[in-house]
Amino acid sequence: MCKWCMQHGIGKKWYMNARNYSDQLADEYNLREYLTEQWMNFEAVYIRKIAGISSKALGYKLQMPIIGKILRWSVERMIHGAVKHPNPIRADGHIGQVIPMEDAQIILSKLAAEPIVETYCMCRKMQRGINYQCCINFGVLSEVLEKLPRFIPKERAHRISREEAMEKIELHNKNGLVSTVWYQPYPYINAICNCESPECGALRLRNDFDLMIMSKAEYIINLDQDKCQGCKACVSMCQWNAIRYIPSIKRVIIDYNKCFGCGVCRHACKHDALKLIPRQEFHGFDGHF
Amino acid sequence: MGKTKIKIDYSKCGPEGNVDPRDCAKCLNVCDPCVFLRHEDLKFKEENVFDPQHWKITPIWPSVCTRCYKCIDVCPENAISIKW
Repeated sequence: MCKWCMQHGIGKKWYMNARNYSDQLADEYNLREYLTEQWMNFEAVYIRKIAGISSKALGYKLQMPIIGKILRWSVERMIHGAVKHPNPIRADGHIGQVIPMEDAQIILSKLAAEPIVETYCMCRKMQRGINYQCCINFGVLSEVLEKLPRFIPKERAHRISREEAMEKIELHNKNGLVSTVWYQPYPYINAICNCESPECGALRLRNDFDLMIMSKAEYIINLDQDKCQGCKACVSMCQWNAIRYIPSIKRVIIDYNKCFGCGVCRHACKHDALKLIPRQEFHGFDGHF
Repeated sequence: MGKTKIKIDYSKCGPEGNVDPRDCAKCLNVCDPCVFLRHEDLKFKEENVFDPQHWKITPIWPSVCTRCYKCIDVCPENAISIKW
């Protein structure tokens, strides 16, 4: 299990601990106010200056000889909410993990605090310029987002029942989107987004800059090499480019270092060759999330 | 290979320009690696803080830019320039 499971999982995965979803937890930390502060100008988080430095051209800044290392250490601290006073404008303590469809459905059916809303995804708005309704929010975050008209669809209802939320997760997974669950801020859980690369801010920070804002899932894919027929349907589903088709052996190969365990590839396979297994059970597992 | 530097002429695009990035967003649509970011322009004091009306585009991730020039071609105001 990852480190948050150890600290906040009470013996299970951190996102299966019911207390992390409770309104009581949100009230204890005054999170309605915190989240309102965070979301009012959330799109500006990358251009805000912290100690004189913004995230603009972060890729280049992190490559600088000594300052790059200090910057990396500093950003990781903020992301993990390990600073003395978590600052909502910097979105401190905003960390997430990839989850397969089944775990997302368990969360939405049993653990998420109502009301559940599906809003326009902020990342697609700010990086792609489109309104795409796929971000499922719950707990006190729902009422915070309902105050921000740019995230609320006008033509469609945004409040959804638990059953509708579970159906939407299945739909998004079959479309190739990766479900991710979020501390926002640590340790309160109030969002499951359905991400894609390169629009998703978290996938950008993890894939392009190696910042641990998003962890791999508690699972990893297992390919049954005998069942694979080489139809290549799974190859284009993988957002991490972990699957490649090899013509000489007429089947796909998996780069298990790249696999994040989202399980989206399984939906494309008609030959039952792809299954998710717990990451711990994978022989090559080295504790790296 | 030097660093890619992308500049937007804000006298053409944004709250002080001819085009509102909320209406256009062509560079955001066309850039495959999503180099551009559309965000609130923090210089302006908003009437309603929950519904900001002043938006700006910043080239936020120039390190992933592939220099395909599609953003320069698609911008209706010719506001984008690049050098590396």
